[in-house]
Amino acid sequence: MAPPPLLAIGSSFYPFSPPPTTIAIRVPSFPLSHTPSAVKLGIFLSLHSHIPLFNGPPVSFALEYDGPPLPFDLPRAVPISVDDIPVASVVSQVPLSDTLSLPVVQPIVAPKNPTVKFSKELRTLGSEARVSKEVELGSERTVSPTSVIAFEDRVSQSNNVCELSGELSSSGAFEFSNVNYASGEFSDEGGSSRMLEESRGAGSSGTVEFCESFDKSGRSSSALRVSNELHQHDWASTESVLSLEYPSTRVSSLKAEDCGDARRPPVVTFDVDSDDALDGDFGDEEEAVTRPLKREPLTKGKKGSCYRCFKGNRFTEKEVCLVCDAKYCSNCVLRAMGSMPEGRKCVACIGFPIDESKRGNLGKCSRMLKRLLNELEVRQIMKAEKFCEVNQLPPEYIFVNGKPLAYEELVTLQNCPNPPKKLKPGNYWYDKVSGLWGKEGQKPSRIISPHLNVGGPIQPDASNGNTQVFINGREITKVELRMLQLAGVQCAGNPHFWVNEDGSYQEEGQKNTRGYIWGKAGTKLVCAFLSLPVPSKSSNSHGEQHSSLSSKAVPDYLDHAIIQKLLLVGCSGSGTSTIFKQAKILYNSVPFSDDERENIKLTIQSNVYAYLGVLLEGRERFEDECLGHLKKWQSSTPGNTGPGPESDEKTMYSIGTRLKVFSDWLLKTMVSGKLDAIFPAATREYAPLIEELWNDAAIKATYARRSELEMLPSVANYFLERAVKILRTDYEPSDLDILYAEGVTSSNGLACVEFSFPQSSPEETGETADLHDSLIRYQLIRVHARGLGENCKWLEMFEDVGMVIFCVSLSDYDQFTVDGNGCSTNKMVLSRKFFEAIVTHPTFEHMDFLLILNKVDQFEEKIEQVPLTKCDWFSDFHPTISRPRPNSNSNSINHNPSLGQLGSHYIAVKFKRLYSSLTGRKLYVSVVKGLEPGSVDAALKYAKEILKWSEERPNFSSSEYSMYSMEASSFSH
Amino acid sequence: MSLSQPKMSVAELKERHLAATDTLNNLKQRLNHTRRSLLDTDLAGYARSQGKSPVTFGPTDLVCCRTLQGHTGKVYSLDWTSERNRIVSASQDGRLIVWNALTRQKIHAIKLPCAWVMTTAFSPTGQSVACGGLDSVCSIFNLNSATDKDGNLPVSRMLSGHKGYISSCQYVPDEDTHLITGSGDQTCVLWDITTGLKTSVFGGEFQSGHTADVLSISINGSNSRIFASGSCDATARLWDTRVASRAVRTFHGHEGDVNSVKFFPDGNRFGTGSDDGTCRLFDIRTGHQLQVYCQKHSDNDIPPVTSIAFSISGRLLFAGYTNGDCYVWDTLLAKVVLNLGSLQDSHEGRISCLGLAADGSALCTGSWDTNLKIWAFGGHRRMV
Repeated sequence: MAPPPLLAIGSSFYPFSPPPTTIAIRVPSFPLSHTPSAVKLGIFLSLHSHIPLFNGPPVSFALEYDGPPLPFDLPRAVPISVDDIPVASVVSQVPLSDTLSLPVVQPIVAPKNPTVKFSKELRTLGSEARVSKEVELGSERTVSPTSVIAFEDRVSQSNNVCELSGELSSSGAFEFSNVNYASGEFSDEGGSSRMLEESRGAGSSGTVEFCESFDKSGRSSSALRVSNELHQHDWASTESVLSLEYPSTRVSSLKAEDCGDARRPPVVTFDVDSDDALDGDFGDEEEAVTRPLKREPLTKGKKGSCYRCFKGNRFTEKEVCLVCDAKYCSNCVLRAMGSMPEGRKCVACIGFPIDESKRGNLGKCSRMLKRLLNELEVRQIMKAEKFCEVNQLPPEYIFVNGKPLAYEELVTLQNCPNPPKKLKPGNYWYDKVSGLWGKEGQKPSRIISPHLNVGGPIQPDASNGNTQVFINGREITKVELRMLQLAGVQCAGNPHFWVNEDGSYQEEGQKNTRGYIWGKAGTKLVCAFLSLPVPSKSSNSHGEQHSSLSSKAVPDYLDHAIIQKLLLVGCSGSGTSTIFKQAKILYNSVPFSDDERENIKLTIQSNVYAYLGVLLEGRERFEDECLGHLKKWQSSTPGNTGPGPESDEKTMYSIGTRLKVFSDWLLKTMVSGKLDAIFPAATREYAPLIEELWNDAAIKATYARRSELEMLPSVANYFLERAVKILRTDYEPSDLDILYAEGVTSSNGLACVEFSFPQSSPEETGETADLHDSLIRYQLIRVHARGLGENCKWLEMFEDVGMVIFCVSLSDYDQFTVDGNGCSTNKMVLSRKFFEAIVTHPTFEHMDFLLILNKVDQFEEKIEQVPLTKCDWFSDFHPTISRPRPNSNSNSINHNPSLGQLGSHYIAVKFKRLYSSLTGRKLYVSVVKGLEPGSVDAALKYAKEILKWSEERPNFSSSEYSMYSMEASSFSH
Repeated sequence: MSLSQPKMSVAELKERHLAATDTLNNLKQRLNHTRRSLLDTDLAGYARSQGKSPVTFGPTDLVCCRTLQGHTGKVYSLDWTSERNRIVSASQDGRLIVWNALTRQKIHAIKLPCAWVMTTAFSPTGQSVACGGLDSVCSIFNLNSATDKDGNLPVSRMLSGHKGYISSCQYVPDEDTHLITGSGDQTCVLWDITTGLKTSVFGGEFQSGHTADVLSISINGSNSRIFASGSCDATARLWDTRVASRAVRTFHGHEGDVNSVKFFPDGNRFGTGSDDGTCRLFDIRTGHQLQVYCQKHSDNDIPPVTSIAFSISGRLLFAGYTNGDCYVWDTLLAKVVLNLGSLQDSHEGRISCLGLAADGSALCTGSWDTNLKIWAFGGHRRMV
């Protein structure tokens, strides 16, 4: 027995730190380490503050701490008692009814200079000049945080009404919150308490700390805390600037020289003026496109200087923010732009769309950045810049024939074989028949791929022509008319033409082609002269367009955008691997790489050796049995001495010595489990032997009795019959071989394949829907349940999958496995257990489940011989089937469902009932023959439909979504 | 008896098996009972009787001072380097990112062959990182090796041999060549990285090992031959790497999966965090449970503990919970002194992992909200 516990506790006491005695004033113990944390922090900062990569606003006391790490007089966490705060008493005299009129309403007026107005109001509200002195509106617009403290104090004294004080606080922090009003973040916020939070997140740390302490409604000590918290700026403010939602304010600097004054905490500068500009910039007149707020740089120094350090001139090398056009010198760029998760943007601009005029610069790295960062970082930043979603061309900025594009339309446009070059936001017209493309009100600029389903119908005045000659319903311009005339097209009488993409034209209402506009050699010259577009070569080969459209690789950034994950699970032997392989073969143009094929080949060959081993083992057994029988028979008939002793040794299962040696060797290596190790070499050596072995009569006889060999899996037949071919060294596994092969995908616990369903024929469904479908990529993740433990800890990793496909082998109903305790369990019951575990797992609470009842072909054969009731779970299966009478014709069979069909329906209902009793939802079921591509394809397409369906489900009543008629009611119970 | 009856029926065997299991459970219960009766006090009680007062925290003593953004999937694991302030994090977006914790810069972004990564670790020298996940392979990346043409860092070594997912890995301190992994196949394995072979396997079918998935391991900092493992079987076990055949000791007490184990800085105790919502402190010399850290919730719904870490002194225990809370426990008095989840800038999702910088100056938490946050002293303190 263990020693008494008291002893243990006593000894366990030692390691704890001795009570802290030598440390800070307020904090009795140090949070993270033995050394006092202030010291630690001092070291931490002084070591690293000079690192140029330190981004965000500069750390004020990092600058101070240049000297030894422990300057005792330095920290300004001077306890400020309430009495020391100059304004407190003054403001608290303000009658409550007056302060009530103070809040929120005023800022919405959005004055030109809200700060001024606020301070004015404050003055009118009876506060003395000292307040406005504190709220200095000098050129720097600095405000001393003590004023905030003053307000805080007032609030804490007069916090009668919670709501009121909340509002007070938001007005009290006016310097900060009006910034928010200017940026429009605030106007729609209702409750004052909400505002508190907003201003907390607003990035102005002064407000942050203020609100924090206000929440705690500390009394006298709160002032101290506030002043303390203000010292904390460097940590907190770097953080809050990073918070993307409210990037409009910025703590520009904590001025080091001000820190000399012991009474005043560091001054915080807020840049308010530039934010006023934010309101004005709605809409771009030139392009008549409504745009969200355009961001302006926050600070402006003298012309040409760095926007952050205000140093340098026009000629110093600078990096430009893609959003707000702020320019930073090489010293500041990393601080101002941080880790650049979306490319070269100020930290405050992250999340905003880029300035369209800078689109051309996307992904083009400057020399400066290359100098500052290492190659990998630069590459990642440029990649992020080019492909991150927010930097993509916003489709709604592009109008085609007066209609803003949708996301899919833009993708179509950009991925067509002949896309418009350098697409910028604006209004365009597009002639779908001929592929002519131009800016609204202008002559055509390009001929792009025709028949794209983008934008609205073309308007007659799209190109603002006045010639009264029409092409495809568009009045053409004079330049075009001249070109037509030079090309020899009859244009008298203001004709209306139909022009196809190949340049053939017909007059409206007539059938015969009158000629080809770009047919003549001269026309192209004329077009070049008149700067009109000519069809490019690739657009002439329009026959291939449809196929190339579908096969074209989806752009990189879309890869991540739309991906639906399907999780494929099932007990071992349920055929998940077959379905996985089937999906690979079905949807991937190159299902298996050469390396994979080589591995698969080895796997198949070693499998076949294993099967042969089982066969040889069986042969020995049969031989022994035979000999035994023979002996018995001989002993029972003593008079019969006919066959000599030498013939005793020979039975129909005996083999020659050479084969015997081989057989012994194979069995020996199998027993020792070294088959994999010696195996590839073995093929070369024994390949010729295999043929001899396979053709041996004894083996053939054993093979005939293969049903008695339990170790031999059912697929072995398929491979053994091809053994000779497979075990040649030049064997190339076919897709079918791979499908049948065991152990190809289960080498590790998990395998996944990405695919998209091939586009169905265009006439089947609408084009846009089709296009959308082909854009969605699916990822089929197959998990080998056995290798991943029974506790389903790993399931949490798959909470983002769209659907779980659970695979059950129908033919398992008469199979049993023996577990570690020696109890044998029905495989179907095991499957059910696993199904229950997964379905009830909290991760999959709202997940759709598709049950695949696999191996229905084997099941149909088996159920004729083995009754379904062999499995306890199915004991109530009593099909009321009228067996087709021998004389009935084949038609009647079609009417009567076969026993197999009934059985699979019955099992499906069993699972559905189980599922709905566990979750209260409906289970989708698909009956599949894993080895038939069409069957698997149908099941996966069904999965796709369910996914689409679940997206649209809110629009339908819940009672309708059952596609299969396997209703529970169809079986009597 | 069995000799006289060489052939027993299956039913008889089953009966005997059942009886044996019953006896075993009875013995276990008696053992636990005796243990409990001997355990007349716990750590907190003793500390209180000695007049210890709990640690208190000022508002600036632990604040979020960095947010590391860059992952696009749930963060599952993180690890600090032993000397320089770098962090490696593993996420469901299929990437490992090596960060500079001070500047927030990403030093490396490693695309993994298998996106379902569960654990990652820095080597003691900081030259390489290891990771493992559902692919059942522990992959080692040498951070100094050249990238291939796509800019990806190649795998420098694959440690394959586990039959289940890799849930946890840690380098043996001061050795870049040895690594211990814990796996869903109920075993832990000590690997030799240079050869890529198993040095020893702890647990498994015929040994007195865990009877369910191993979820976490922790190597004793003061004696690197000793390590602890926590498992789905609700136990923690102590192992000696020289004796692979059996666990040195088994620690019962938890009522749910043990998600996290971490050695106490002095190496004589270790802490555990479990699905039952408690953290516990065990003494490895006596085998006793010293303290349970459990916060009473109003609605009886105690969120599971996902990850734990001790401060350098051991006085503080950080524990991440599935509901996004991260408690700072006073180890001595078993009181929650701070909840990082209630501070500003806290995580929005489950805290999945946490770790302390080697010098103890900062705590890093990783969350399912795809971010990592660094917490440190955020104030300015006057010295006396």
